[in-house]
Amino acid sequence: MNIQEYISSGIVESYVLGLSSAEERSEFEKICAQYPEVMQARIAFEISIERQAMGNAVAVPEGLKQKVFDAIGGHENEVKPAASVMKMNWLKYAVAACLILLAGSLYWNYSLQQKNKELTKKLDDSGKTLAQLEQDIKVLQGNPAIKMARMDGTTISPQSFATVYWDTASHDVYLLVNNLPKPANDKQYQLWAFIDGKPVDMGLLELSEKPLQLYRMKNAQTAQAFAITLEKRGNGPIPHGAVYVKGNP
Amino acid sequence: MITKSSYSEQELVALLQQQNQQAFGYLYDNYANALHGIILSIVKENETASDVLQEVFINIWKKIRSYDPEKGRLFTWMLNVARNAAIDKIRSREYRDNLKNLPIPETPDLNIGSDLKPVVEDVGLKKILRKLKEEQRVLIDLSYFQGYTHEEISKALNIPLGTVKTRIRSALTQLRNMID
Repeated sequence: MNIQEYISSGIVESYVLGLSSAEERSEFEKICAQYPEVMQARIAFEISIERQAMGNAVAVPEGLKQKVFDAIGGHENEVKPAASVMKMNWLKYAVAACLILLAGSLYWNYSLQQKNKELTKKLDDSGKTLAQLEQDIKVLQGNPAIKMARMDGTTISPQSFATVYWDTASHDVYLLVNNLPKPANDKQYQLWAFIDGKPVDMGLLELSEKPLQLYRMKNAQTAQAFAITLEKRGNGPIPHGAVYVKGNP
Repeated sequence: MITKSSYSEQELVALLQQQNQQAFGYLYDNYANALHGIILSIVKENETASDVLQEVFINIWKKIRSYDPEKGRLFTWMLNVARNAAIDKIRSREYRDNLKNLPIPETPDLNIGSDLKPVVEDVGLKKILRKLKEEQRVLIDLSYFQGYTHEEISKALNIPLGTVKTRIRSALTQLRNMID
């Protein structure tokens, strides 16, 4: 085959412009792969056709690009560089938001932990108190020999109120201070048992800060009445001060 | 996302075949007007040409995987997609029915079948066609711009098929020299 003749036959142009038959096309493709000069002639004509088309371009109506992108399910905006800037900003804000949330979460966590510690300690203390009270109540309730003497406030302190639990079998005496005014530092409450009309010292009270505390007092064989006076700190076996509460078993 | 101002043809084709929208945007920006010109040389109305161009780009996006660089350059492939779409449009019944309502343009008195009227305007390649001999010009117009097969032209013009082919080829080589 004379290649130059083939090239100048018009097959190259016919092929490129889509005017050749299927048979001519497949033959041309084979020859093109075989002869570089045919390939060269093809590419040269393609370039001149492209240049010619570019030189005769006609402006496309605005908005057509958007229509095309809508149709392919894309977004024309995404192909613009602004999109990457927007994405960066979004990412920055997202990271900042995450850091703020993380810091907040850590602080919250920390303060919860502190609160938890406090509550655990309080619960522990309450548990100890409860255990002590239960112990006391067992002592009092589980024993049929226990007598109770309710002591009401006298005219000088009507709000005052205390209770004596007296074990008639073992002679143990317990005092429950329900309500007594806080004494001055140099004063102390003292419990008295009246035996045969005479006051017998049952002990000085070291008032605890804790409410409803049960105090173990001195033993008493028999008693017709009980009373609490306010005495000087470290008072002896004879009462001098005013009576705050008194009562009979 | 990296924005590129230009691609090699190989890069562009690879990205398009991966359905890269940015590359497709670049393709549109660079070639829409040229393909619009081609379509307008076949389809007469602006609105129809816009519709065809839209359809062409959607087809390019959908069919890019069937493009084979061995068989031609990317632009050649796109040009043929555009030409085929434009010819399909003017040969559609809908388009022909609409044309009947338009005034019949004055055409040179050519001794051809009433169905085959060359429509030669001064757009793009058609401008160059004017330099061809009339018999060649008619053949190129009918085959390239109106999409008639060599057989159809042979029958309509009552010219042997071999002669149609030879004359078209000869016209094309002359066209090529005019373009270069």
